[in-house]
Amino acid sequence: MLTEEKQPILSIRDLNIWYGDKQILRDLSFEVQQRQVTAFIGPTNCGKSTLVRCINRLNDFTPNFRSIGEILFKGSHLHEASDATALRKQIGMVFRKPTLFRCSIYENVAYGAQIAGVNQSEHLDIIVEKNLQKTGLWDEVEDILDETPEQLSTGQQQLLCIARALAVDPEVLIFDEPCGELDPIETVKIETLVRDLTNEYTLIFATNKRRQAARVSDVAGFLYGGELIEFGATEKIFTNPQDNRTEQYVTGRLG
Amino acid sequence: MNAMTTRAERKQKFVLQGIPFIIFGIAAIPIWKALKKTDAADMQVVSPNVLSMLLNDLYILLSVSCLAILLGIVCAFYLEEWLPKNNWARRLIESHVAILTSIPSTLYGILAISIFFSYAGTLKVIDGAPPAQNTESIPFQRNTTLFCGEVLTFIFMVTPVTIKTTQEALRSVATPVREAVFALGASQWQVLRQHVVPIAFIRILAGGCRAMSRAFATAALLIGIYIWYDTTDAGGMSGRFILFLAVSLFLSVFSSSLTEVYDSDLTQRS
Repeated sequence: MLTEEKQPILSIRDLNIWYGDKQILRDLSFEVQQRQVTAFIGPTNCGKSTLVRCINRLNDFTPNFRSIGEILFKGSHLHEASDATALRKQIGMVFRKPTLFRCSIYENVAYGAQIAGVNQSEHLDIIVEKNLQKTGLWDEVEDILDETPEQLSTGQQQLLCIARALAVDPEVLIFDEPCGELDPIETVKIETLVRDLTNEYTLIFATNKRRQAARVSDVAGFLYGGELIEFGATEKIFTNPQDNRTEQYVTGRLG
Repeated sequence: MNAMTTRAERKQKFVLQGIPFIIFGIAAIPIWKALKKTDAADMQVVSPNVLSMLLNDLYILLSVSCLAILLGIVCAFYLEEWLPKNNWARRLIESHVAILTSIPSTLYGILAISIFFSYAGTLKVIDGAPPAQNTESIPFQRNTTLFCGEVLTFIFMVTPVTIKTTQEALRSVATPVREAVFALGASQWQVLRQHVVPIAFIRILAGGCRAMSRAFATAALLIGIYIWYDTTDAGGMSGRFILFLAVSLFLSVFSSSLTEVYDSDLTQRS
């Protein structure tokens, strides 16, 4: 109840998105509150990725991309902000597949801070250590900071990606199916971490696993065929859904 | 802070967009001067022996690598990274590049003879003596008009190949890598310089080598054909034409086999 009085960090109104002639999203409207996990569930190809990629304007690079509607980040229009790079420093992203740069573990984490203008090595050392500790990876990689991340397991690589995204010091962090390629034990690690991160960050989480969304999120939205069928508190979505299709999806009869 | 970085980026972008024009300018001035020059003393054809042709080849290689390959790489970066994906100029340039790369190299020789050399004025072997007798008496000597004609031809020939291979090299850098860098708040320039170029560098280099092999295989042909074309009296037009065809065929097969070697080398590496 308290959260509803707060100013939403992100609000989206009547968002429509097309790739060429194909409409991907129809009339989406919702609000994301600060320091919460907002999850989007839905079957494959329902537009989850497109939606979350819109928020940090990664879709700008997609050819034939067209959007109508308002996305407000902290009260200002997203598409009127001229500088997309400044926006992406505030809204970080973790992808399905861990993609690490071909340099040492230390340089991977430090990269974001470096391009943001941090140059002193002492500051970078602090940033790297702090963010690796946040993700719980510090003890495992403390001795191999100067080596390439290829020797790490996929789960560790994904944790490193999260640490790298955190090193830019964003306010919002988007997860686009972060556990898509991980085994159950590594998935648990990521989920625990996501819950821990809500103390400091606002998280948006796209997944096609119903149970995972139920475990990690505070607020959930069900996307189906490009439409936001239902949006509300996770408990309500999973225990007392208003729409028939939502009920069918969360009980496993649809999608 | 943000305003400053964007201004710096704009400056970098501007400089990068200006590079092709600067190169064109630098290349155009001496070529234009040489084309205008009709001084008879300057019109000396290199005698058609193996040494002079080899030296000619190396000379061409040097100048073409400075001009055409650089131009091609810069053009490819501009096409691939800055022009929007569904831009009409991009479609136009790409289709023309595709056509130019598929033309056999001997046709460029004909282009060179018919356009550049004939506009540059008539070239004559000194004193009208047959070149075979002049072999010892004429040392390796450059003819600026002929040279510029050749370089122009090679710019036409090598640039499209380089554009194509460099574009392919840039495309080989996977989208997830680019997106991962962009998501950290990097600018286009930073993505390109710190991530795309280091990954694509070896392929760009290989593409340059491939284009050079094409140029190397045809450089000797060009000067050879020209001398036959200019000095053969016997046999008339048809005799010359048959000779020309035979030489062209041989050299185009040679050059295509050379490029195939590079192609297979590339695919093996990837």
